[in-house]
Amino acid sequence: MDDWSKDVKQLLSVTLALLVSLILVVLLLFLMGEDLTSLTEALKYTFFNRFGLGYTLFYTTPLIFTGLSVALCFHAGLFNIGAEGQLLWGALSVVALAKAFPNLPAGLALPLAFSVSAIAGGIWGFLPGYFKARRGTHEVITTILLNFIALSCVNYFILYPFKNPESQSAETSVMPAGYQLHTLWFPTTPVNASLAVAIAIALAVYVFLFRTSFGFELRTMGQSPRAAVFSGVSLQKRTLAVFVMSGALAGLVATNDILGNEHKLIEGFSPGYGFTGIAVALLARNHPIGIIFSSFLFGSLQNFSRELEFFTQNISKDVSLIVQAVIIILVSTRDFWQRKKQI
Amino acid sequence: MIELIQSSLRLSTPLVFAALGGLLCERAGVATICLEGVLLISAFTAATVDVFTSSPLTSILVGMIAGSAFMGLHALLTQKAKADHIISGVAINILAAGLPPLLSQAWFGSSTNTPSVPSNARLSEPAIIAAALILPLAMHYLIYRTSFGLRLRSAGDGPEALQTSGISVGRVRTLALLLGGALTSLGGSYLSIGHSSQFLRDMTAGSGFIALAAIIFGKWRPIPVFLASLFFGFTEALPMILQGVTWRGLSLPVQWIQAIPYVLTLGILVTTVGSARPPRAIGSK
Repeated sequence: MDDWSKDVKQLLSVTLALLVSLILVVLLLFLMGEDLTSLTEALKYTFFNRFGLGYTLFYTTPLIFTGLSVALCFHAGLFNIGAEGQLLWGALSVVALAKAFPNLPAGLALPLAFSVSAIAGGIWGFLPGYFKARRGTHEVITTILLNFIALSCVNYFILYPFKNPESQSAETSVMPAGYQLHTLWFPTTPVNASLAVAIAIALAVYVFLFRTSFGFELRTMGQSPRAAVFSGVSLQKRTLAVFVMSGALAGLVATNDILGNEHKLIEGFSPGYGFTGIAVALLARNHPIGIIFSSFLFGSLQNFSRELEFFTQNISKDVSLIVQAVIIILVSTRDFWQRKKQI
Repeated sequence: MIELIQSSLRLSTPLVFAALGGLLCERAGVATICLEGVLLISAFTAATVDVFTSSPLTSILVGMIAGSAFMGLHALLTQKAKADHIISGVAINILAAGLPPLLSQAWFGSSTNTPSVPSNARLSEPAIIAAALILPLAMHYLIYRTSFGLRLRSAGDGPEALQTSGISVGRVRTLALLLGGALTSLGGSYLSIGHSSQFLRDMTAGSGFIALAAIIFGKWRPIPVFLASLFFGFTEALPMILQGVTWRGLSLPVQWIQAIPYVLTLGILVTTVGSARPPRAIGSK
């Protein structure tokens, strides 16, 4: 089978996944006795007006970061279920930076904030990498446990040292003007420059994976660890490096949600970007460019389910989780469906 | 002190069921990252059925069916469709995280919890805890002393040999998953209508993953896994005791205390796992 027909087949299976999910949503609406106009309203506020599209793009950005984070590990044959914890530390570090240096001009503050969020995420990503490389502990379980630990720790900082004393809810104070990214193209929506950064990073990850020898070694390691060892690659060092890079990518989520939207850290601000990143990476078959598109898809889903909750009586936005699970299941069994067709 | 032992036992119970249920699956060669999802869906199902029937026995049975069904889906995906075990598990966890709030919103008008059931509709805690204490012996017998146990271990350690002797590896594994799912569901149902009186959103709070850690810590053997579950239950009971303890006018913030079980679990895994060896063919298709 040549590459082109493979691509077409992939496109078809993705379309199939989407159709099945959409049918599921419509069925759900019927079962719950909702008015079907709520569906068209929700669609309108996801794609077909400036406000809706702006929010959809806003939800796309963090998924590009977490999708890349998960995909990078997948390429090296590793699972990163810990993007959720890594992005929390990224968010906290930005708030800490703004507290430490409140008077920096934007030209200095913003690049610094981007770097700090990546470094904080990278440090949290270092831990599972270290446990895997040095102690052989499976990264799936360590990253999940580290998520819970990150959540407790970050919530502590939101509630005590960094708490906004004038606010009733669990949130930090608003950061100074130098640390605020503003909306560019879609007035009244929070989509901001970090979307452009995310896309640029996706391209950079593509070049890194497919055009550098380091990237080649990572992919070799993912496909055949033995071959990588025999060609002189140190699996331990690479595991550490991949996890640090993955963590850094996840940490960058803060630039969109903290610098770009609320300008403060609110408890529970992430609706599970780290876990959705897994679905994003799988759907794109871990291809960095594909991740931009699948992030848009899952960003739309995120926004659509929010709107659906708003326009209906009895549908909660958790419907997006069901659709996510269905897509993961369909994509992970893709080989099975294709084999069936060939027989 | 007695209080600490009591709450340790209570908090260990769901872990014991989940860890021993998961053990069965893992010994058959299937990685079960989806224990968390099975706990969650069975907790929700049992609580919902209890609201409508007020019969704890019916609720726990339906809860077991729901948990088995989710494990059955895992079996279908991993054995029939040859999906990666971890990815299939992640999908099932996401599904089990999404379904309860969705259905709860539709049926009870609240996505965060189901209505509370009266105390006479709840499971008897002592009975369930007693069952959790007997279970490891039964599991030991099942795994090491029965022909099904032998097949189970072969499916995990040498599926080729099992295949050669004319037994379907897929069937043995599917059976193990269904049974493991039912056992895990006992833990889930206990959480919602035994330990508590309602289902709360994400109430398992990582118990499924801690159970997985107990399996690894117990080196995939029933009795040690049981002891590891008791220990992890103890670490979950610690926060309750430590809360409100002050030392020279200082008290530990509740967020730090809540992190203790996870930190201890992680610490133990990282320091001891070097000597633990999983079933040879785990995760194989």
